[in-house]
Amino acid sequence: MKSDMAAAPGTVSGAAAGAPRKRPDGRTGVSRPGVGWALPAALFFGLFAIVPLVLVAVLSLTRWGGLGAPEFAGFDNWVTLFHDPVMIKSLWLSVLLTGLGVLVQTPLSILLGVWAAGPQRNRAVLSAVFFVPLLLSATAVSVLWRALLDPNFGVPAQARWLFGDGNLLGDRTGAIGVLVLVSAWQFTPLHALIYQGATRAIPEVLYQAAAIDGAGTVRQFFHITLPQLRNSIITSVILMVVGGLTTFDTVLILTQGGPGTDTTISAYYMYTKAFKSFDFGAGAAIALLLVVVATVISLVVVRVSGYDKMAGTKDGLS
Amino acid sequence: MKTSAAKTRARMTRGRFSKAVAGGVTLALGLSLAACGGGDSSAGGAGEFHVLVYGDSANKVEKQIVDTFNKTSEVKAVLDTVPGADYQQKLQTIINTPQAPDVFFNWGGGSIQPFVKADLLLPVDDLIAKNPGDLGGLKSNFLPSVYDTAKVDGKAYGIPMRGTQPVLLFHNKAVLADAGVQPPKTWNELLDAVRELKAKGVTPIALGGGDRWPTLMWFEYLYDRIAGPELLQKALSGDKSVWESADSRKALSMLKELVDSGAFGTNYDSVKFTDGGSAALLATGKAGFELMGSWEFSTHQNDNPDFAKKDLGYTSFPTVEGGKGDPAAVVGNTNNFYSVLKRTEHADDIAKFLKLMYSDEFVEAQLAIGNLPTTTNTAPFLDSADNAEYLKYQFDLVDKAPTFQLSWDQAYLQTNATPLLTAVQQFFNGQIDADGFIKAMQALTTS
Repeated sequence: MKSDMAAAPGTVSGAAAGAPRKRPDGRTGVSRPGVGWALPAALFFGLFAIVPLVLVAVLSLTRWGGLGAPEFAGFDNWVTLFHDPVMIKSLWLSVLLTGLGVLVQTPLSILLGVWAAGPQRNRAVLSAVFFVPLLLSATAVSVLWRALLDPNFGVPAQARWLFGDGNLLGDRTGAIGVLVLVSAWQFTPLHALIYQGATRAIPEVLYQAAAIDGAGTVRQFFHITLPQLRNSIITSVILMVVGGLTTFDTVLILTQGGPGTDTTISAYYMYTKAFKSFDFGAGAAIALLLVVVATVISLVVVRVSGYDKMAGTKDGLS
Repeated sequence: MKTSAAKTRARMTRGRFSKAVAGGVTLALGLSLAACGGGDSSAGGAGEFHVLVYGDSANKVEKQIVDTFNKTSEVKAVLDTVPGADYQQKLQTIINTPQAPDVFFNWGGGSIQPFVKADLLLPVDDLIAKNPGDLGGLKSNFLPSVYDTAKVDGKAYGIPMRGTQPVLLFHNKAVLADAGVQPPKTWNELLDAVRELKAKGVTPIALGGGDRWPTLMWFEYLYDRIAGPELLQKALSGDKSVWESADSRKALSMLKELVDSGAFGTNYDSVKFTDGGSAALLATGKAGFELMGSWEFSTHQNDNPDFAKKDLGYTSFPTVEGGKGDPAAVVGNTNNFYSVLKRTEHADDIAKFLKLMYSDEFVEAQLAIGNLPTTTNTAPFLDSADNAEYLKYQFDLVDKAPTFQLSWDQAYLQTNATPLLTAVQQFFNGQIDADGFIKAMQALTTS
């Protein structure tokens, strides 16, 4: 094993030391690094992503309560799953929560990111404060919000005119609203950070030209900043989609899937099946379904947005 | 040691090999760590047996008892603790492997039923059979209502090893006095009290509906009072028709009436007991009653000591007029239990170890940390314990109880905990009606 890994980089350094070679297509260039460089990462990925994924697929075809050996059950788990109203509802809820998350977080994080990219004097301090939620664990955030939203001793008790009886987590709309709000509070800073970096990379010359043409701040934002951020928006949306579909900790602590099953999203449902009910077969099936759904949605986003063609945003600049 | 030396070597290696070597070292490090991790839980090796317990502050007593046992025994007991939140999962994963413990902590009822069905556990009778005179105490020295909850198909599989936690109806004396209400002895008196308290602008009953199991307690008591313990026993043995019985419907309609009368206010599902929300309602006088396990008392002693001393009152659950159940019956967490694995090589020594669970030392040590043991020799020790009055009240209650119903979520197989608690919450908040609840109960698995 060690000698394999040692030999592979050897060929690379040899190539790098040599002169640029002529390629069959006629272009000259440095040859690509050997496969050996990818080996550690590929091994890691295989061991901790591919192998478990395959095992989960196998597990989803069995009945297993953690005792004894898994018993082969064919597609029983899958059939049960597709007839399970809670499962179907949980998929819709996952999509709903993810969609709401994207709708709420994207505008907020673009505005914040663009603002934080500017040269204002107070910017550094305020951004630092604003990025604090990023440093907190999801668990801490959820516990904090639970205390804040206590209907008898928290914020709702002081603002009856707004919250009524404060039954936020005991009501479907309220519980979904709370989940969207808490994840927005927690994750907007991350996406703002992405937009801040992307905004700084926009060439100053574009703004100078626009200013000469008489475009104001708002117009510059819509006609320069936003189009230039297109690729970042797609990156950030995909992160939100994947993150949203696998949201778990906030649900566990804030609502436990309740009231009833009104916030039982697929990831949480998987957890209750596998680790509360010890029905690992069903849990594995949900997990696999979630992988498929998340992959499909990501692919659709990539295709629809044209991200896969990696169209540059700097056309005509150089 | 070995791995750190390897690391140093890796750092000194120059050139293109260094990264590959470092990668190898990382892998080796991972493997050696994994190897170390497996080392501490070898099952009952030469002259020792392993006792797996739920890790929390009560471990102090378990350690003390193990030490006492080891002083005189050739074969040593080894105590392994698993942090509470991971306990059930860990147990489930290792119980059928060579790493399995010889003795393990459990909740009786549904928590051991799958193990019994998988033929993993040793019945207490089999332990006693080898040495009837000496070991008979493993049966006779415990309160029967508690002992019975670790029986599966009529055979005992557990020895009580901590304290009992019956569910009581707690109240705020000041709030009740203010509204001119006496602690209710009957269901109708409770309904009257609810009306009076509501008129005073107080939430009559605090409920941590967000946790869902506090809501379940109301079902457990009302079903027990109206139909007696037989209904759930039948349901657990697979007779699902009992949920449609007249008694079941009566219990549901009375619960519905209570909820609709505003007894719990309207925002109970946003309140939890586990983060102190519902207990605070009672302590601050915003609510009159709370139905809760006996641990409510120590919760208030820690969080609201003044209230606990002055205004915290407690009674048993009201009787229900015309109900078939014995008004003296209780529900709650009966106790925790030690169960023994069939494949242990040290059954004789384990029997001696289990005898310590009704020793005077055990009783004193449990009382010292606030647990109420359920052995027949507990009573004389209660006078000198802290909160003697409260402990005596509970001990009397459990001692006189003809039956002690284990919480439904523990009596049923664990597979059912989530659907059961979901149905309970949905019935309270009106998402399902009596028929929906009956259907949900009938969908629970019993074997």
